[in-house]
Amino acid sequence: MRLVRFWFPAVALVVPIAVLVLLSQSFAPLTVQRVVTEALIRIVAVVGLYIFVGNSGIVSFGHVTFMAIAAYAAAWQTCCQMLKPITMSGLPAFLRDNTFPLLPSALTSIAAAGALAFLSGLVLMRLSGLAASISSLALLFIVNVVYSNWESVTMGTASVVGIPTYVTAPVALVCAILAIVVAYLYQVSSRGLTLRATRDDEVAAAASGISLYWSRLFAFTLSGFVMGLAGVLHAHYLGTISINAYFLNLTFLTLAMLVVGGQRSLAGAVVGVVVLSAIIDIFRRLEAGVSVGTAQLALPAGTQELILAAVMLVILIFRKDGLMGGRELELPRGKAEPPARVQSAKNLAGAAGKT
Amino acid sequence: MLIACLPEIGRQFTGPAVPALFETCVLAADVMHRPKRQTLKAADVHVTFGGIHALGGVDLTLTRGRITGLIGPNGAGKTTMVNVLSGFQRPTQGSISLDGQDISALTARKIAQAGIARSFQAARLFRDLTVLQNLTVAGIGSGLSMRAAAAQARDILDWIGFAGNAEWRCDLLSYGDERRISIARALALQPSFVLLDEPASGMNEAECDALMTVIAGIPSQFDCGVMLIEHNMKVIMGVCERIHVLDGGRSLAEGSPGEVQKDPVVRRAYLGEKASDKTLAI
Ligand SMILES: Nc1ncnc2c1ncn2[C@@H]1O[C@H](COP(=O)(O)OP(=O)(O)OP(=O)(O)O)[C@@H](O)[C@H]1O
Ligand SMILES: [Mg+2]
Repeated sequence: MRLVRFWFPAVALVVPIAVLVLLSQSFAPLTVQRVVTEALIRIVAVVGLYIFVGNSGIVSFGHVTFMAIAAYAAAWQTCCQMLKPITMSGLPAFLRDNTFPLLPSALTSIAAAGALAFLSGLVLMRLSGLAASISSLALLFIVNVVYSNWESVTMGTASVVGIPTYVTAPVALVCAILAIVVAYLYQVSSRGLTLRATRDDEVAAAASGISLYWSRLFAFTLSGFVMGLAGVLHAHYLGTISINAYFLNLTFLTLAMLVVGGQRSLAGAVVGVVVLSAIIDIFRRLEAGVSVGTAQLALPAGTQELILAAVMLVILIFRKDGLMGGRELELPRGKAEPPARVQSAKNLAGAAGKT
Repeated sequence: MLIACLPEIGRQFTGPAVPALFETCVLAADVMHRPKRQTLKAADVHVTFGGIHALGGVDLTLTRGRITGLIGPNGAGKTTMVNVLSGFQRPTQGSISLDGQDISALTARKIAQAGIARSFQAARLFRDLTVLQNLTVAGIGSGLSMRAAAAQARDILDWIGFAGNAEWRCDLLSYGDERRISIARALALQPSFVLLDEPASGMNEAECDALMTVIAGIPSQFDCGVMLIEHNMKVIMGVCERIHVLDGGRSLAEGSPGEVQKDPVVRRAYLGEKASDKTLAI
C-alpha cells in the first residue's frame, strides 16, 4: 500500500499517456500518430525543463541549448557517412570518418548535454534567481551564435540531413516514461526536497543548512541530461536538424507548456504539453482547411499562434499556478480530518492572529 | 547506540510523556551525530547600517543547557543580534566564537551546520511543503539521510504535539501553529544553540502557556542552549535562567530574572515605560 501511494503520482501520469499512445497506434491515422510522437518528445523536453525550473523556481531560458548540443552530437556520430567529410570537414577525424552505432551515440550525446549543463551551471548557479534567468538566455544566444557560424563543423544555419530516423511513438513513449520517472524520483529525493525548500524561502533554507548553490547545480545538471535525451529523440525523429530549431521559438513553446500546466508540479509539466499540443494541432488543421459538406473552410494563417497567446493570457490571469495548480495526482489521504482539539486551537490562533 | 539509549530508557520508566522507546533511541543516536558545543560567545559586536548603530558593542554569552532571554524595546537590536549570531549579518566590528573558535567569517549555512539554529520573527516556513517535510529539510541540512531526517522529524513533531498533522501543507497552518513548527524546524537541525526570535508573538494566552512548556523543555530534550527573544514578560520571566537587556544597541543589564526585574536602570529605561506594572508583577 505504501508502495502504491509512493508511485501513484508517477503512475497516474504514465498510464493514461501509454494508453493513449497505444490506442493511437492501432486506430488513428498516420498524421495523428506523428502528432503523438512529437508530443511525447516534447514531454521529455518539458519534464527536463521542469526538473530545474519547477523545483528551483528559477525560470531558465537556456535549456533548449542542451537539446541542441545533444542533437548535433548525435548527428555528428550517426549521419551521412558519405557526405560528412565534405559538408562538415572541420570535425575531428574520428567523428568525420566514422559512423557510430545508435545507442552509444545517443548515450554520449546525452552525456555531452549534461556536461555542458554542469559546466555552465557552475557559473550560472552562482547568480541569484533573476540574474540566473537572464544569464541562461545569454547561454542560449552564445551557443546559437557559435553553431550558426562554425560552418565547417555545424554547417552553419543550414540543415544537417541524413540522420537515421528510428524514433517512433513506442520509442518516444519509453523515453517519456523514463523522463517522468527520473523527474519524479528526483523530486521526492532529499536533493529534490531541499531544492523545493530553497524555492519557497532561500533565507530559511540557508538557516536550515541547505546550500542553494549545490542543490541548484545538481538539478540544473540533471535537467541538462534529460534535455539531452529530448534533443537526441528530436534529431532521430526528424532526421534533419538546424540550429535555429533550438532557439527562441522552442524556448518559449516549452516554457508556455510548463506555465499553462503549472510549473510547480510534474503533473503540471505533462498536462501542459498534452493540452497545448492538442490545441496547436487542432488549429493547425483548421488553418490548413477542413471541408464541411461541400464548402472548404480555413482559418487565416497565424490563428494558432494567437490562440496559444490567448490561452497563456487566460491562464496567467485566472489561474496563475497553471492547470494543475502545483499539485500532483495523489491518492486521497486516509486521515484528512484534523483532530478536534487541534482544530479548535487553530481557530483560536487564527482569531488571535487577526486581532 | 545502546549506551546512548540507556539514560533514555531510564526516563522511559519514570517520565510520564516520553515518546515510544524506539523513537527515543533514534533521537538520541542522531543527537550524537555531531559534537555538541559548550558556549557561543559574542564579543564587542558592532553593527552599523549607514549611519544607524543597530548594535554598539554588545557582549553576550550563551551556554549549552541554559535558556537566556534577550529583551529590549522595539528597535533595540535584538533581531540584529540574532542575525549576527546566525551568520546573516556580518558584524562591522567584534567577533563571534563557538567554543573559542572564531566563526564570524562563516556563511549562514555553515553556521547552521556548525550547530546554531534560528527561527524567524516571520516564521518563514517552506509554504509548499508539508509540516513533516519542513522539518525533514532541516534534518537533511544537518547531514542526516532523508530517512533518518524524516524519522527525527516525526519524533520532534511527536514531542511538540503535532504528530497527527504531519502531512498538512504549511500554507494552511494557523499563525500559532506556524510559529510552533518554525521552532520545531530549528530543532531539527540538531543544534547546540537555538535562537528564537519572538516565538510567541500573535499567540493567545493558552497557546502562550503551552509554548512556555515547550521552550522550557528544549534544553534537556535536545541538549542545547536557547536564546529567547520575547516581549511577553510572563514568558521571559517564566522560563529564562539569565536575562540580557538591550536598549538602543547597547547592553543595559545582565543577570537572573530577579536581578533584572529589580534593576533600577532597567525599570526606568525599559520595563517602566513600556510594559505595565502588571507584567512586572509576576
Ligand atoms: N537591514 C537594515 N537596514 C537598516 N537599518 C536596519 C536594518 N535592520 C535593522 N535596522 C535598524 O536597526 C535597529 C535595530 O533593529 P532590530 O530589528 O534588531 O530591532 P529589534 O530589537 O529586533 O526590534 P523588534 O522588537 O521590533 O523586533 C532599528 O533601528 C532598525 O531600524
Ligand atoms: Mg526583532
